[in-house]
Amino acid sequence: MSARLADVGLALLRQALLLAAITVAVFALMRVVPGDVVDAMAMEGSLDEEAVAALRADLGLDAGVLAQLRIWVVRALGGDLGLSLRFDRPVAELILAALPTTLALGTLALAVGLALGIALPAAAVLWPRSPFPVLVEAVNLWSIALPTFCVGLAGILVFSVWLGWLPVIGQMLLPVLILGIDNAGQIAKPLHEDLKEAATAAHIRTARAKGLSPARIVLRHLLPNAMTTVVALGGMMLAALIGGALTMEVLFGLPGLGTLAYQAVSGRDYPVIQAVVMVFAAGVVAVNLLADQLQRALDPRLRR
Amino acid sequence: MSASAAGSLAAGRLGAGRSSAGFAAGVTILAVAVLVAVLGPSLVPHDPLAQALAAGNAPPDAAHWLGRDHLGRDIAARLAAGTRISLLVALGATLLSVILGAGLGLVAEANGRWASFVVFGAFDMVRALPSILLALTLMVALGVGTAPLVLALGIAFAPHMAMVARAAWRRETASGYVAAARVMGAAPLATLGRHILPNIAGALVTQAAIVVPRAITTESVLSFFGLGVAPDTPSWGRMIAGAARFAEAAPHAVLAPVAALCVVTLGFALVGDRLRLALDPLREHGR
Repeated sequence: MSARLADVGLALLRQALLLAAITVAVFALMRVVPGDVVDAMAMEGSLDEEAVAALRADLGLDAGVLAQLRIWVVRALGGDLGLSLRFDRPVAELILAALPTTLALGTLALAVGLALGIALPAAAVLWPRSPFPVLVEAVNLWSIALPTFCVGLAGILVFSVWLGWLPVIGQMLLPVLILGIDNAGQIAKPLHEDLKEAATAAHIRTARAKGLSPARIVLRHLLPNAMTTVVALGGMMLAALIGGALTMEVLFGLPGLGTLAYQAVSGRDYPVIQAVVMVFAAGVVAVNLLADQLQRALDPRLRR
Repeated sequence: MSASAAGSLAAGRLGAGRSSAGFAAGVTILAVAVLVAVLGPSLVPHDPLAQALAAGNAPPDAAHWLGRDHLGRDIAARLAAGTRISLLVALGATLLSVILGAGLGLVAEANGRWASFVVFGAFDMVRALPSILLALTLMVALGVGTAPLVLALGIAFAPHMAMVARAAWRRETASGYVAAARVMGAAPLATLGRHILPNIAGALVTQAAIVVPRAITTESVLSFFGLGVAPDTPSWGRMIAGAARFAEAAPHAVLAPVAALCVVTLGFALVGDRLRLALDPLREHGR
Protein backbone atom coordinates (compact mmCIF):
# COMPACT_ATOMS: atom_id res chain seq x y z
CA MET A 1 0.00 0.00 0.00
CA SER A 2 2.81 2.42 0.88
CA ALA A 3 4.47 1.59 -2.44
CA ARG A 4 1.22 2.56 -4.09
CA LEU A 5 1.07 5.84 -2.17
CA ALA A 6 4.65 6.60 -3.21
CA ASP A 7 3.60 5.88 -6.79
CA VAL A 8 0.74 8.36 -6.59
CA GLY A 9 3.00 10.91 -4.90
CA LEU A 10 5.61 10.57 -7.64
CA ALA A 11 2.98 10.99 -10.34
CA LEU A 12 1.61 14.07 -8.57
CA LEU A 13 5.08 15.57 -8.24
CA ARG A 14 5.79 14.95 -11.92
CA GLN A 15 2.58 16.64 -12.99
CA ALA A 16 3.16 19.57 -10.62
CA LEU A 17 6.62 20.06 -12.14
CA LEU A 18 5.07 19.89 -15.59
CA LEU A 19 2.54 22.59 -14.67
CA ALA A 20 5.28 24.80 -13.20
CA ALA A 21 7.32 24.43 -16.39
CA ILE A 22 4.28 25.33 -18.50
CA THR A 23 3.69 28.43 -16.33
CA VAL A 24 7.21 29.69 -16.93
CA ALA A 25 7.07 28.84 -20.64
CA VAL A 26 3.76 30.62 -21.25
CA PHE A 27 4.87 33.58 -19.16
CA ALA A 28 8.08 33.90 -21.16
CA LEU A 29 6.18 33.47 -24.43
CA MET A 30 3.74 36.26 -23.54
CA ARG A 31 6.63 38.59 -22.67
CA VAL A 32 8.85 38.02 -25.72
CA VAL A 33 5.95 38.93 -27.96
CA PRO A 34 6.77 42.05 -29.94
CA GLY A 35 4.14 44.58 -28.93
CA ASP A 36 2.21 44.34 -25.67
CA VAL A 37 -1.32 45.36 -24.75
CA VAL A 38 -0.30 48.99 -24.36
CA ASP A 39 1.05 49.03 -27.93
CA ALA A 40 -2.20 47.50 -29.12
CA MET A 41 -4.20 50.15 -27.26
CA ALA A 42 -1.94 52.93 -28.54
CA MET A 43 -2.53 51.75 -32.10
CA GLU A 44 -6.29 51.67 -31.65
CA GLY A 45 -6.75 54.95 -29.83
CA SER A 46 -4.85 58.12 -29.11
CA LEU A 47 -2.31 57.46 -26.37
CA ASP A 48 0.66 59.82 -26.34
CA GLU A 49 4.09 58.66 -25.15
CA GLU A 50 3.63 59.89 -21.60
CA ALA A 51 0.32 58.08 -21.27
CA VAL A 52 1.94 54.93 -22.68
CA ALA A 53 4.74 55.05 -20.11
CA ALA A 54 2.29 55.77 -17.29
CA LEU A 55 0.03 52.90 -18.33
CA ARG A 56 3.00 50.51 -18.52
CA ALA A 57 4.12 51.47 -15.03
CA ASP A 58 0.53 51.16 -13.81
CA LEU A 59 0.18 47.65 -15.22
CA GLY A 60 3.62 46.58 -13.94
CA LEU A 61 4.89 45.98 -17.46
CA ASP A 62 8.01 48.13 -16.96
CA ALA A 63 9.66 45.67 -14.56
CA GLY A 64 11.98 42.90 -15.82
CA VAL A 65 10.50 39.62 -17.02
CA LEU A 66 11.85 37.66 -14.04
CA ALA A 67 10.51 40.22 -11.58
CA GLN A 68 7.12 40.09 -13.29
CA LEU A 69 7.16 36.29 -13.15
CA ARG A 70 8.03 36.31 -9.44
CA ILE A 71 5.24 38.75 -8.65
CA TRP A 72 2.75 36.74 -10.72
CA VAL A 73 3.62 33.41 -9.09
CA VAL A 74 3.48 34.81 -5.54
CA ARG A 75 0.10 36.38 -6.18
CA ALA A 76 -1.27 33.39 -8.09
CA LEU A 77 -0.43 31.08 -5.19
CA GLY A 78 -2.59 33.35 -3.05
CA GLY A 79 -5.45 33.04 -5.55
CA ASP A 80 -4.89 36.46 -7.09
CA LEU A 81 -4.46 36.10 -10.85
CA GLY A 82 -4.20 39.82 -11.47
CA LEU A 83 -6.44 42.21 -13.33
CA SER A 84 -7.62 41.76 -16.88
CA LEU A 85 -5.96 44.45 -18.98
CA ARG A 86 -9.06 44.79 -21.13
CA PHE A 87 -12.06 44.23 -18.91
CA ASP A 88 -10.64 45.93 -15.82
CA ARG A 89 -11.89 43.06 -13.69
CA PRO A 90 -9.97 40.45 -11.67
CA VAL A 91 -8.92 37.54 -13.91
CA ALA A 92 -10.05 35.04 -11.27
CA GLU A 93 -13.55 36.52 -11.45
CA LEU A 94 -13.65 36.20 -15.25
CA ILE A 95 -12.49 32.59 -15.02
CA LEU A 96 -15.01 31.68 -12.32
CA ALA A 97 -17.78 33.27 -14.38
CA ALA A 98 -16.79 31.29 -17.48
CA LEU A 99 -16.08 27.96 -15.78
CA PRO A 100 -19.68 26.69 -15.30
CA THR A 101 -20.48 26.95 -19.03
CA THR A 102 -17.38 25.00 -20.00
CA LEU A 103 -17.91 22.41 -17.28
CA ALA A 104 -21.54 21.93 -18.28
CA LEU A 105 -20.64 21.59 -21.97
CA GLY A 106 -17.80 19.17 -21.18
CA THR A 107 -19.76 17.04 -18.73
CA LEU A 108 -22.82 16.73 -20.95
CA ALA A 109 -20.71 15.93 -24.02
CA LEU A 110 -18.73 13.35 -22.05
CA ALA A 111 -21.96 11.77 -20.82
CA VAL A 112 -23.35 11.52 -24.36
CA GLY A 113 -20.00 10.20 -25.60
CA LEU A 114 -19.67 7.53 -22.92
CA ALA A 115 -23.31 6.43 -23.17
CA LEU A 116 -23.18 6.07 -26.96
CA GLY A 117 -19.59 4.84 -26.99
CA ILE A 118 -20.34 2.00 -24.56
CA ALA A 119 -23.90 1.14 -25.60
CA LEU A 120 -23.15 0.80 -29.32
CA PRO A 121 -20.32 -1.75 -29.04
CA ALA A 122 -22.19 -3.64 -26.29
CA ALA A 123 -25.23 -3.94 -28.56
CA ALA A 124 -22.95 -4.89 -31.47
CA VAL A 125 -21.48 -7.78 -29.49
CA LEU A 126 -24.88 -8.82 -28.21
CA TRP A 127 -26.49 -8.85 -31.68
CA PRO A 128 -23.64 -9.34 -34.18
CA ARG A 129 -26.06 -9.70 -37.10
CA SER A 130 -27.95 -6.48 -36.36
CA PRO A 131 -27.06 -3.05 -37.81
CA PHE A 132 -25.13 -2.21 -34.62
CA PRO A 133 -21.65 -3.35 -35.82
CA VAL A 134 -22.14 -1.18 -38.90
CA LEU A 135 -23.16 1.71 -36.64
CA VAL A 136 -19.93 1.27 -34.66
CA GLU A 137 -17.95 1.54 -37.91
CA ALA A 138 -20.04 4.50 -39.05
CA VAL A 139 -19.65 6.53 -35.86
CA ASN A 140 -15.92 5.74 -35.91
CA LEU A 141 -15.50 6.95 -39.49
CA TRP A 142 -17.64 9.98 -38.64
CA SER A 143 -15.32 11.06 -35.83
CA ILE A 144 -12.16 10.51 -37.87
CA ALA A 145 -13.39 12.12 -41.06
CA LEU A 146 -15.56 14.99 -39.90
CA PRO A 147 -13.91 17.57 -37.63
CA THR A 148 -16.27 19.02 -35.01
CA PHE A 149 -15.60 22.48 -36.46
CA CYS A 150 -17.05 21.36 -39.82
CA VAL A 151 -20.00 19.55 -38.30
CA GLY A 152 -20.71 22.54 -36.09
CA LEU A 153 -20.85 24.92 -39.05
CA ALA A 154 -22.94 22.48 -41.09
CA GLY A 155 -25.25 22.07 -38.07
CA ILE A 156 -25.71 25.82 -37.77
CA LEU A 157 -26.51 26.04 -41.49
CA VAL A 158 -29.05 23.22 -41.41
CA PHE A 159 -30.77 23.59 -38.03
CA SER A 160 -30.53 27.33 -37.45
CA VAL A 161 -30.41 28.96 -40.87
CA TRP A 162 -32.50 26.64 -43.07
CA LEU A 163 -34.85 24.87 -40.70
CA GLY A 164 -34.86 27.60 -38.08
CA TRP A 165 -35.35 25.06 -35.26
CA LEU A 166 -32.59 26.34 -33.02
CA PRO A 167 -31.12 29.76 -32.31
CA VAL A 168 -27.62 30.21 -33.79
CA ILE A 169 -26.20 31.68 -30.61
CA GLY A 170 -26.37 30.49 -27.03
CA GLN A 171 -27.89 26.99 -27.31
CA MET A 172 -26.02 23.97 -26.03
CA LEU A 173 -27.90 21.13 -27.75
CA LEU A 174 -25.88 21.06 -30.98
CA PRO A 175 -22.43 21.46 -29.41
CA VAL A 176 -23.17 18.74 -26.83
CA LEU A 177 -24.41 16.32 -29.49
CA ILE A 178 -21.56 17.10 -31.88
CA LEU A 179 -18.84 16.70 -29.25
CA GLY A 180 -20.60 13.67 -27.77
CA ILE A 181 -20.87 11.80 -31.08
CA ASP A 182 -17.26 12.68 -31.88
CA ASN A 183 -16.21 11.17 -28.55
CA ALA A 184 -18.38 8.12 -29.01
CA GLY A 185 -16.65 7.47 -32.33
CA GLN A 186 -13.26 7.47 -30.66
CA ILE A 187 -14.25 5.00 -28.00
CA ALA A 188 -16.75 2.69 -29.77
CA LYS A 189 -14.40 0.99 -32.23
CA PRO A 190 -11.53 0.04 -29.87
CA LEU A 191 -14.07 -1.07 -27.27
CA HIS A 192 -15.86 -3.21 -29.85
CA GLU A 193 -12.56 -4.90 -30.82
CA ASP A 194 -11.82 -5.42 -27.14
CA LEU A 195 -15.23 -6.95 -26.43
CA LYS A 196 -15.06 -9.25 -29.46
CA GLU A 197 -11.66 -10.51 -28.37
CA ALA A 198 -12.78 -10.97 -24.77
CA ALA A 199 -15.88 -12.87 -25.93
CA THR A 200 -13.67 -15.77 -27.05
CA ALA A 201 -12.17 -16.23 -23.56
CA ALA A 202 -12.70 -19.48 -21.65
CA HIS A 203 -14.77 -17.97 -18.84
CA ILE A 204 -17.22 -16.57 -21.37
CA ARG A 205 -17.53 -19.99 -23.03
CA THR A 206 -18.22 -21.45 -19.60
CA ALA A 207 -20.84 -18.81 -18.87
CA ARG A 208 -22.48 -19.54 -22.20
CA ALA A 209 -22.32 -23.30 -21.61
CA LYS A 210 -24.02 -23.04 -18.25
CA GLY A 211 -26.88 -21.21 -19.92
CA LEU A 212 -26.43 -17.56 -18.97
CA SER A 213 -28.40 -15.23 -21.20
CA PRO A 214 -26.31 -13.27 -23.75
CA ALA A 215 -27.39 -9.96 -22.19
CA ARG A 216 -26.20 -11.09 -18.77
CA ILE A 217 -22.87 -12.26 -20.23
CA VAL A 218 -22.28 -8.87 -21.83
CA LEU A 219 -23.38 -6.83 -18.83
CA ARG A 220 -21.85 -8.89 -16.02
CA HIS A 221 -18.81 -10.51 -17.59
CA LEU A 222 -17.67 -8.60 -20.66
CA LEU A 223 -18.28 -4.92 -19.90
CA PRO A 224 -16.73 -4.82 -16.41
CA ASN A 225 -13.51 -6.29 -17.81
CA ALA A 226 -13.49 -3.78 -20.64
CA MET A 227 -13.72 -0.83 -18.24
CA THR A 228 -9.91 -0.41 -18.27
CA THR A 229 -10.12 0.23 -22.01
CA VAL A 230 -12.93 2.73 -21.44
CA VAL A 231 -10.92 4.58 -18.78
CA ALA A 232 -7.74 4.60 -20.89
CA LEU A 233 -9.62 5.94 -23.91
CA GLY A 234 -11.82 8.17 -21.77
CA GLY A 235 -8.82 10.06 -20.44
CA MET A 236 -7.56 10.83 -23.93
CA MET A 237 -11.07 11.55 -25.08
CA LEU A 238 -11.60 14.08 -22.30
CA ALA A 239 -8.34 15.82 -23.16
CA ALA A 240 -9.44 16.08 -26.80
CA LEU A 241 -12.87 17.19 -25.64
CA ILE A 242 -11.39 20.13 -23.74
CA GLY A 243 -9.85 21.35 -27.00
CA GLY A 244 -13.00 20.70 -29.00
CA ALA A 245 -15.13 22.56 -26.46
CA LEU A 246 -13.01 25.67 -27.03
CA THR A 247 -13.91 25.79 -30.73
CA MET A 248 -17.56 24.91 -30.10
CA GLU A 249 -17.95 27.70 -27.53
CA VAL A 250 -16.71 30.34 -29.94
CA LEU A 251 -18.76 28.90 -32.80
CA PHE A 252 -22.00 28.78 -30.80
CA GLY A 253 -21.39 31.95 -28.77
CA LEU A 254 -21.29 30.21 -25.39
CA PRO A 255 -19.67 32.36 -22.68
CA GLY A 256 -17.18 29.73 -21.43
CA LEU A 257 -13.42 29.48 -21.02
CA GLY A 258 -12.91 28.93 -24.76
CA THR A 259 -14.64 32.19 -25.62
CA LEU A 260 -12.67 33.91 -22.85
CA ALA A 261 -9.41 32.54 -24.33
CA TYR A 262 -10.46 33.71 -27.79
CA GLN A 263 -11.29 37.21 -26.54
CA ALA A 264 -8.06 37.39 -24.53
CA VAL A 265 -5.96 36.29 -27.48
CA SER A 266 -7.63 38.79 -29.81
CA GLY A 267 -7.13 41.60 -27.27
CA ARG A 268 -3.60 40.67 -26.16
CA ASP A 269 -4.89 40.40 -22.61
CA TYR A 270 -1.84 38.57 -21.19
CA PRO A 271 -3.04 37.99 -17.62
CA VAL A 272 -6.19 36.35 -18.97
CA ILE A 273 -4.33 34.29 -21.61
CA GLN A 274 -1.86 33.15 -18.97
CA ALA A 275 -4.60 32.16 -16.53
CA VAL A 276 -6.80 30.43 -19.11
CA VAL A 277 -3.87 28.43 -20.46
CA MET A 278 -3.01 27.41 -16.91
CA VAL A 279 -6.59 26.32 -16.21
CA PHE A 280 -6.74 24.27 -19.42
CA ALA A 281 -3.32 22.70 -18.74
CA ALA A 282 -4.30 21.91 -15.15
CA GLY A 283 -7.50 20.33 -16.45
CA VAL A 284 -5.70 18.11 -18.96
CA VAL A 285 -3.02 17.16 -16.43
CA ALA A 286 -5.64 16.32 -13.79
CA VAL A 287 -7.63 14.22 -16.26
CA ASN A 288 -4.54 12.27 -17.32
CA LEU A 289 -3.52 11.72 -13.69
CA LEU A 290 -7.02 10.55 -12.75
CA ALA A 291 -7.29 8.24 -15.76
CA ASP A 292 -3.88 6.72 -14.97
CA GLN A 293 -4.73 6.10 -11.32
CA LEU A 294 -8.21 4.79 -12.14
CA GLN A 295 -6.67 2.41 -14.64
CA ARG A 296 -4.25 1.12 -12.03
CA ALA A 297 -7.06 0.71 -9.53
CA LEU A 298 -9.12 -1.26 -12.04
CA ASP A 299 -6.35 -3.38 -13.54
CA PRO A 300 -4.08 -5.11 -11.01
CA ARG A 301 -1.64 -6.05 -13.79
CA LEU A 302 -0.62 -2.39 -14.15
CA ARG A 303 0.55 -2.19 -10.51
CA ARG A 304 4.15 -3.24 -10.57
CA MET B 1 -0.82 7.53 -20.96
CA SER B 2 2.09 5.54 -22.31
CA ALA B 3 3.40 6.02 -25.82
CA SER B 4 2.49 2.54 -26.94
CA ALA B 5 -1.05 3.02 -25.70
CA ALA B 6 -1.25 6.25 -27.69
CA GLY B 7 0.04 4.42 -30.75
CA SER B 8 -2.40 1.58 -30.43
CA LEU B 9 -5.20 4.05 -29.83
CA ALA B 10 -4.37 5.78 -33.09
CA ALA B 11 -4.34 2.37 -34.71
CA GLY B 12 -7.63 1.46 -33.10
CA ARG B 13 -9.25 4.70 -34.21
CA LEU B 14 -8.43 3.96 -37.78
CA GLY B 15 -9.89 0.54 -37.43
CA ALA B 16 -9.43 -2.61 -39.40
CA GLY B 17 -9.74 -2.58 -43.17
CA ARG B 18 -12.74 -1.04 -44.82
CA SER B 19 -13.79 -1.64 -48.38
CA SER B 20 -11.44 -0.83 -51.22
CA ALA B 21 -14.22 1.37 -52.62
CA GLY B 22 -13.59 3.71 -49.68
CA PHE B 23 -9.89 3.76 -50.48
CA ALA B 24 -10.59 4.53 -54.15
CA ALA B 25 -12.94 7.33 -53.15
CA GLY B 26 -10.31 8.74 -50.80
CA VAL B 27 -7.60 8.65 -53.48
CA THR B 28 -9.96 10.35 -55.94
CA ILE B 29 -10.79 13.11 -53.46
CA LEU B 30 -7.14 13.76 -52.66
CA ALA B 31 -6.12 13.63 -56.34
CA VAL B 32 -8.75 16.25 -57.19
CA ALA B 33 -7.69 18.39 -54.21
CA VAL B 34 -4.01 18.24 -55.24
CA LEU B 35 -4.92 19.02 -58.84
CA VAL B 36 -6.94 22.04 -57.76
CA ALA B 37 -4.11 23.13 -55.47
CA VAL B 38 -1.52 22.86 -58.25
CA LEU B 39 -3.58 24.41 -61.05
CA GLY B 40 -5.22 26.76 -58.55
CA PRO B 41 -6.46 30.08 -59.91
CA SER B 42 -6.05 29.06 -63.57
CA LEU B 43 -9.07 26.77 -63.16
CA VAL B 44 -11.45 29.66 -62.56
CA PRO B 45 -11.58 32.68 -64.86
CA HIS B 46 -11.89 35.16 -61.96
CA ASP B 47 -9.51 36.95 -59.61
CA PRO B 48 -10.00 35.58 -56.06
CA LEU B 49 -9.31 39.05 -54.64
CA ALA B 50 -11.39 41.19 -57.04
CA GLN B 51 -14.30 42.79 -55.19
CA ALA B 52 -17.67 43.83 -56.58
CA LEU B 53 -19.63 45.23 -53.66
CA ALA B 54 -22.80 45.77 -55.71
CA ALA B 55 -22.98 42.03 -56.41
CA GLY B 56 -22.31 41.04 -52.79
CA ASN B 57 -23.75 37.68 -51.68
CA ALA B 58 -25.02 36.94 -55.21
CA PRO B 59 -26.19 33.32 -55.57
CA PRO B 60 -24.49 30.91 -58.03
CA ASP B 61 -25.05 31.60 -61.75
CA ALA B 62 -23.44 30.64 -65.07
CA ALA B 63 -20.53 33.07 -64.79
CA HIS B 64 -19.88 32.61 -61.05
CA TRP B 65 -20.39 28.88 -60.51
CA LEU B 66 -20.50 29.01 -56.73
CA GLY B 67 -21.82 32.55 -56.38
CA ARG B 68 -20.11 35.51 -54.73
CA ASP B 69 -19.27 36.31 -51.10
CA HIS B 70 -20.26 39.39 -49.06
CA LEU B 71 -17.66 41.53 -50.87
CA GLY B 72 -18.73 40.23 -54.28
CA ARG B 73 -15.61 38.09 -54.70
CA ASP B 74 -15.97 34.90 -56.77
CA ILE B 75 -16.30 31.96 -54.38
CA ALA B 76 -15.05 29.32 -56.84
CA ALA B 77 -11.85 31.30 -57.43
CA ARG B 78 -11.34 31.78 -53.69
CA LEU B 79 -12.01 28.11 -53.03
CA ALA B 80 -9.37 27.09 -55.59
CA ALA B 81 -6.83 29.55 -54.17
CA GLY B 82 -7.75 28.45 -50.64
CA THR B 83 -7.14 24.80 -51.52
CA ARG B 84 -3.54 25.63 -52.36
CA ILE B 85 -3.05 27.60 -49.12
CA SER B 86 -4.75 25.01 -46.91
CA LEU B 87 -2.87 22.04 -48.38
CA LEU B 88 0.48 23.84 -48.38
CA VAL B 89 0.09 24.94 -44.76
CA ALA B 90 -1.03 21.48 -43.64
CA LEU B 91 1.71 19.61 -45.51
CA GLY B 92 4.36 22.07 -44.36
CA ALA B 93 3.19 21.81 -40.76
CA THR B 94 3.13 18.01 -40.91
CA LEU B 95 6.64 17.87 -42.41
CA LEU B 96 7.86 20.23 -39.69
CA SER B 97 6.20 18.13 -36.99
CA VAL B 98 7.98 15.01 -38.33
CA ILE B 99 11.34 16.80 -38.35
CA LEU B 100 10.79 18.37 -34.91
CA GLY B 101 8.99 15.49 -33.24
CA ALA B 102 10.50 12.37 -34.73
CA GLY B 103 13.89 13.98 -35.33
CA LEU B 104 14.36 15.43 -31.85
CA GLY B 105 12.68 12.43 -30.23
CA LEU B 106 14.90 9.86 -31.95
CA VAL B 107 18.12 11.80 -31.41
CA ALA B 108 17.22 12.22 -27.73
CA GLU B 109 16.45 8.51 -27.35
CA ALA B 110 19.73 7.63 -29.07
CA ASN B 111 21.65 9.88 -26.69
CA GLY B 112 20.50 8.27 -23.49
CA ARG B 113 18.39 8.87 -20.44
CA TRP B 114 18.98 12.54 -19.75
CA ALA B 115 18.57 13.80 -23.28
CA SER B 116 15.39 11.77 -23.50
CA PHE B 117 14.14 13.17 -20.18
CA VAL B 118 14.66 16.77 -21.27
CA VAL B 119 13.26 16.44 -24.78
CA PHE B 120 10.24 14.37 -23.83
CA GLY B 121 9.63 16.63 -20.84
CA ALA B 122 9.30 19.49 -23.32
CA PHE B 123 6.97 17.40 -25.48
CA ASP B 124 4.89 16.58 -22.39
CA MET B 125 4.47 20.31 -21.80
CA VAL B 126 3.26 20.80 -25.35
CA ARG B 127 0.95 17.81 -25.01
CA ALA B 128 -0.66 19.13 -21.82
CA LEU B 129 -2.39 21.84 -23.86
CA PRO B 130 -5.14 21.19 -26.39
CA SER B 131 -3.47 21.69 -29.79
CA ILE B 132 -5.89 24.46 -30.75
CA LEU B 133 -5.13 26.45 -27.57
CA LEU B 134 -1.40 25.90 -28.01
CA ALA B 135 -1.50 27.05 -31.62
CA LEU B 136 -3.63 30.04 -30.58
CA THR B 137 -1.08 31.05 -27.90
CA LEU B 138 1.85 30.54 -30.27
CA MET B 139 0.16 32.66 -32.94
CA VAL B 140 -0.09 35.51 -30.43
CA ALA B 141 3.67 35.32 -29.96
CA LEU B 142 4.58 34.70 -33.60
CA GLY B 143 2.11 37.03 -35.28
CA VAL B 144 -0.38 36.38 -38.05
CA GLY B 145 0.85 34.96 -41.37
CA THR B 146 1.53 31.80 -43.30
CA ALA B 147 5.06 31.07 -42.03
CA PRO B 148 4.18 31.59 -38.33
CA LEU B 149 1.11 29.42 -38.87
CA VAL B 150 3.20 26.54 -40.25
CA LEU B 151 5.61 26.90 -37.32
CA ALA B 152 2.82 26.99 -34.71
CA LEU B 153 1.04 23.96 -36.17
CA GLY B 154 4.34 22.10 -36.59
CA ILE B 155 5.11 22.60 -32.89
CA ALA B 156 1.57 21.71 -31.85
CA PHE B 157 1.65 18.36 -33.66
CA ALA B 158 5.31 17.46 -33.00
CA PRO B 159 4.57 15.49 -29.79
CA HIS B 160 2.32 13.05 -31.71
CA MET B 161 5.23 12.25 -34.00
CA ALA B 162 7.67 12.03 -31.09
CA MET B 163 5.46 9.51 -29.28
CA VAL B 164 5.10 7.33 -32.38
CA ALA B 165 8.83 7.58 -33.06
CA ARG B 166 9.72 6.67 -29.47
CA ALA B 167 7.36 3.68 -29.41
CA ALA B 168 8.79 2.47 -32.73
CA TRP B 169 12.37 3.12 -31.56
CA ARG B 170 11.84 1.08 -28.40
CA ARG B 171 10.32 -1.76 -30.39
CA GLU B 172 13.19 -1.76 -32.88
CA THR B 173 16.02 -1.38 -30.35
CA ALA B 174 14.68 -4.39 -28.48
CA SER B 175 15.15 -6.52 -31.59
CA GLY B 176 18.19 -8.57 -32.46
CA TYR B 177 19.49 -6.68 -35.44
CA VAL B 178 20.03 -3.47 -33.46
CA ALA B 179 21.89 -5.38 -30.77
CA ALA B 180 23.99 -6.97 -33.53
CA ALA B 181 24.82 -3.53 -34.97
CA ARG B 182 25.83 -2.34 -31.48
CA VAL B 183 28.05 -5.37 -30.93
CA MET B 184 29.72 -4.67 -34.25
CA GLY B 185 30.63 -1.24 -32.95
CA ALA B 186 28.15 1.00 -34.82
CA ALA B 187 27.65 4.46 -33.29
CA PRO B 188 24.12 5.12 -31.95
CA LEU B 189 23.36 7.79 -34.54
CA ALA B 190 24.64 5.62 -37.39
CA THR B 191 22.41 2.79 -36.19
CA LEU B 192 19.56 5.26 -36.08
CA GLY B 193 20.01 6.42 -39.65
CA ARG B 194 20.99 3.14 -41.28
CA HIS B 195 18.78 0.65 -39.50
CA ILE B 196 16.02 2.17 -37.44
CA LEU B 197 14.76 5.05 -39.54
CA PRO B 198 13.88 2.89 -42.56
CA ASN B 199 12.01 0.52 -40.28
CA ILE B 200 9.87 3.13 -38.55
CA ALA B 201 9.14 5.22 -41.65
CA GLY B 202 5.87 3.35 -42.11
CA ALA B 203 4.65 4.29 -38.64
CA LEU B 204 5.56 7.93 -39.27
CA VAL B 205 3.79 8.08 -42.63
CA THR B 206 0.70 6.57 -41.02
CA GLN B 207 0.80 9.18 -38.27
CA ALA B 208 1.31 11.90 -40.88
CA ALA B 209 -1.91 10.78 -42.59
CA ILE B 210 -3.66 11.44 -39.26
CA VAL B 211 -1.95 14.79 -38.67
CA VAL B 212 -2.49 16.37 -42.13
CA PRO B 213 -6.31 16.59 -41.89
CA ARG B 214 -6.03 17.80 -38.27
CA ALA B 215 -3.62 20.49 -39.42
CA ILE B 216 -6.04 21.51 -42.19
CA THR B 217 -8.86 21.79 -39.65
CA THR B 218 -6.75 23.64 -37.07
CA GLU B 219 -5.59 26.06 -39.77
CA SER B 220 -9.23 26.74 -40.64
CA VAL B 221 -10.22 27.24 -37.00
CA LEU B 222 -7.30 29.61 -36.41
CA SER B 223 -8.06 31.58 -39.56
CA PHE B 224 -11.72 31.59 -38.51
CA PHE B 225 -10.59 33.12 -35.20
CA GLY B 226 -8.62 35.74 -37.15
CA LEU B 227 -5.24 34.33 -36.10
CA GLY B 228 -4.27 32.09 -39.01
CA VAL B 229 -3.14 33.32 -42.40
CA ALA B 230 -3.02 37.05 -43.14
CA PRO B 231 -6.47 38.66 -43.60
CA ASP B 232 -6.15 39.11 -47.39
CA THR B 233 -5.07 35.49 -48.00
CA PRO B 234 -7.99 33.41 -49.32
CA SER B 235 -7.95 30.33 -47.07
CA TRP B 236 -10.96 28.17 -46.23
CA GLY B 237 -11.00 29.39 -42.64
CA ARG B 238 -10.93 33.04 -43.70
CA MET B 239 -13.73 32.37 -46.19
CA ILE B 240 -15.84 30.76 -43.47
CA ALA B 241 -15.14 33.59 -41.03
CA GLY B 242 -16.07 36.25 -43.58
CA ALA B 243 -19.24 34.50 -44.75
CA ALA B 244 -20.46 33.31 -41.33
CA ARG B 245 -21.86 36.75 -40.47
CA PHE B 246 -24.03 36.63 -43.59
CA ALA B 247 -25.11 33.01 -43.27
CA GLU B 248 -28.79 33.95 -43.36
CA ALA B 249 -28.52 35.96 -46.57
CA ALA B 250 -25.90 33.86 -48.34
CA PRO B 251 -25.66 30.29 -46.99
CA HIS B 252 -23.88 29.25 -50.21
CA ALA B 253 -20.87 31.35 -49.22
CA VAL B 254 -20.45 29.35 -45.97
CA LEU B 255 -21.39 26.02 -47.49
CA ALA B 256 -18.67 25.98 -50.18
CA PRO B 257 -15.60 26.18 -47.89
CA VAL B 258 -17.24 24.00 -45.20
CA ALA B 259 -17.97 21.30 -47.80
CA ALA B 260 -14.40 21.52 -49.13
CA LEU B 261 -13.03 21.11 -45.61
CA CYS B 262 -15.28 18.12 -44.84
CA VAL B 263 -14.59 16.35 -48.15
CA VAL B 264 -10.81 16.73 -47.93
CA THR B 265 -10.63 15.51 -44.30
CA LEU B 266 -12.81 12.57 -45.32
CA GLY B 267 -10.40 11.83 -48.19
CA PHE B 268 -7.44 11.77 -45.82
CA ALA B 269 -9.31 9.51 -43.38
CA LEU B 270 -10.16 7.00 -46.11
CA VAL B 271 -6.61 6.92 -47.50
CA GLY B 272 -4.95 6.92 -44.08
CA ASP B 273 -7.02 3.91 -43.11
CA ARG B 274 -5.62 1.78 -45.93
CA LEU B 275 -2.13 3.26 -45.56
CA ARG B 276 -1.94 1.98 -42.01
CA LEU B 277 -2.73 -1.57 -43.07
CA ALA B 278 -0.41 -1.45 -46.06
CA LEU B 279 2.60 0.03 -44.28
CA ASP B 280 2.33 -1.67 -40.93
CA PRO B 281 0.94 -5.18 -41.39
CA LEU B 282 2.50 -6.42 -38.14
CA ARG B 283 0.98 -3.86 -35.84
CA GLU B 284 -2.07 -5.90 -34.92
CA HIS B 285 0.19 -8.66 -33.58
CA GLY B 286 2.89 -6.39 -32.26
CA ARG B 287 0.97 -4.78 -29.45
